Amino acid sequence: MKYCDKCNVKIETNHDYCPLCHQTLEGENEEEVIEKYPDYQTNIRGLKSMTKRIMLFVSVTSIVILLIINALTGLENPWSLVPIGSIIYFWLLMTVGIFSRHNIAFKIFVLTITLIFLVYLIDEATVSNGWALNYVAPILLLSCNLAISFIIAIRKINYRDYISYLLLIVLFSVAPIILILFGVVDVLWPAIATLGFAIFILLFIIFFFPKSIKEEIKKRFHA
Amino acid sequence: MSNIAKNQDWFKLDNSAKIFPSVSNHKETNTFRVTITLTEKINPENLQIATDIMLNRYPMFKVKLKKGLFWSYFDYNSKPLIIREMPFKICAQIDPRENNGYLFKVMYRNQDIAIEMFHSLADGGGVMMLLKSLVYEYLVLEGKKIKPDNLILTKNEKPEYEEYEDANVKYYNKKNRKHIPEEKAYRIKGTQISDDNTGLISGIINTKDILKLSRENEMTITEYLASVLMHVIYKTQIQYRESIKSNERPVKIFVPVNLRKHFPSKTLRNFSNFIKTKMHMNKPDISFEEIKTVVKEQFSEGIKKSELIRKMSENVAFEKNIFLRMTPYFLKNYVLKIGYNMLGIKLNTMSLTNIGRIDFPESMKPFIKGVTAYINAGKFNAVNCAVVSYEDQFKITFTRSIIETNLEKEFFRFLTSKGLDLELESNFVEEHS
Repeated sequence: MKYCDKCNVKIETNHDYCPLCHQTLEGENEEEVIEKYPDYQTNIRGLKSMTKRIMLFVSVTSIVILLIINALTGLENPWSLVPIGSIIYFWLLMTVGIFSRHNIAFKIFVLTITLIFLVYLIDEATVSNGWALNYVAPILLLSCNLAISFIIAIRKINYRDYISYLLLIVLFSVAPIILILFGVVDVLWPAIATLGFAIFILLFIIFFFPKSIKEEIKKRFHA
Repeated sequence: MSNIAKNQDWFKLDNSAKIFPSVSNHKETNTFRVTITLTEKINPENLQIATDIMLNRYPMFKVKLKKGLFWSYFDYNSKPLIIREMPFKICAQIDPRENNGYLFKVMYRNQDIAIEMFHSLADGGGVMMLLKSLVYEYLVLEGKKIKPDNLILTKNEKPEYEEYEDANVKYYNKKNRKHIPEEKAYRIKGTQISDDNTGLISGIINTKDILKLSRENEMTITEYLASVLMHVIYKTQIQYRESIKSNERPVKIFVPVNLRKHFPSKTLRNFSNFIKTKMHMNKPDISFEEIKTVVKEQFSEGIKKSELIRKMSENVAFEKNIFLRMTPYFLKNYVLKIGYNMLGIKLNTMSLTNIGRIDFPESMKPFIKGVTAYINAGKFNAVNCAVVSYEDQFKITFTRSIIETNLEKEFFRFLTSKGLDLELESNFVEEHS
């Protein structure tokens, strides 16, 4: 036990100064002392952090260079949006899709919705004939719906974590039909297939998990 | 009649809990820690098993925080809680993503078992119950012959509905909810410690000595300690510097009150309110006697049932406000954050939490060496103090976000000058700041 004769306090430690007045402690420890509190561990900037920094540097410089070249070749053709959008999507794929700890339904949902935006952007920046909204968007929604349902089917225990995303994607699946009604989209079958599957999933939930829908709504909307 | 709650696995946040998710960040973490020190080195494997057992007993802690349209809520968490070795940082912000979604951590080091908890889930009283249960289950797994003696909730009892009621709402009184505006408090100045690290100094004194000392001053222990703190803040920060503008602000000490002792409730969630001492100290000579008189009067005023109900109802009325209720959550988040940072946080100089005396069954006492409590010190409340006692050990723990230790030094020197024996513990944050 060591002693500070200025503060009149005892302390059991390997350090030689008083935590109160920072003057030298008197006395010695009789035996080995294990400090009450652990030592400071510095954050080691690992390989992941370094790789991330290099990737970020490359991405940002590429975006700047692309923008400059696009500006020099004439802004009426915004072709640089295609590679820039792809770079941003790559980051989303890495951060949300791979390294984040969100649940898988959330990841699939976010990546699908952003991918729809990306393909729409590519469509608009290039041929601009509506292939993205006509075919890719509804088919992506359909496969997202399929994927989340499949995950819920094989991992039954966790369905409550995923069901809200499933409901959301079912809701989003109505969007292609709305686009048809507004005349933005003219190919019918992908939109109808998507909506049909969404309705099938919704009925399935209503018939087999009626309580969980009610619970989920109660939870999300309590005021 | 016991009211066993079946199948409920999601919970609304209680009245006091609602503010914390919006206003917490890496500096103002709103976490606190309680530690029980055993007589033997901790066996992590058994502690993990005990943690799993305990989580099944307490469904209201087996949750994660999720956002709804109007309020966030606690939803059932199917993942396990992984225990960890005690880190250097004290009361750090709990990142649910690194903690399987949980809002509290179970930690161990040498002979210590600690729980660090986000204030939304429970208050000091609730978390102490949880930690006692955890230590009980752990000691049983270690093969100790111990009995709960009705002091500890064990895995054999079923959770009751009262354990997770929002008791604030129960005692809400519409007629007694007057809002009394407060002025900003004096702020303790100092140099910030880097990296959000927290400095810690605990002093252990004899419970009988401190009790005797407060009785000699005709005060309770909490009143006495609050007076000493006011006196020390005055001596180290304000005296002879009256002309400085910021010193005109009153020194206010926030003293949480465990309402379970005043209103019957078994709840494990937040059920506490506060008493505040307040004194303008920009005068050249304020004696300790004067401070004592003021503190004593403010305590007896603040502890009145009608005043406690008023403060409770004031908060509940705020929550029941139809405009606030109907605002979507993400907007509410900003409103609460801005309001709190502009005013809420600036109403106290420091807080003094007295968790009180911790009781264990006779059969458990031989295995328990001590109890410690810690609260986070943020940017505005740069120094905070938590007090807890077990048997004849009375432990006063200061946490601070500033390098300077003047306040602690003068506080403990004041106590030793009254003839108390004092033993210190510290995390020696000086080594890294």
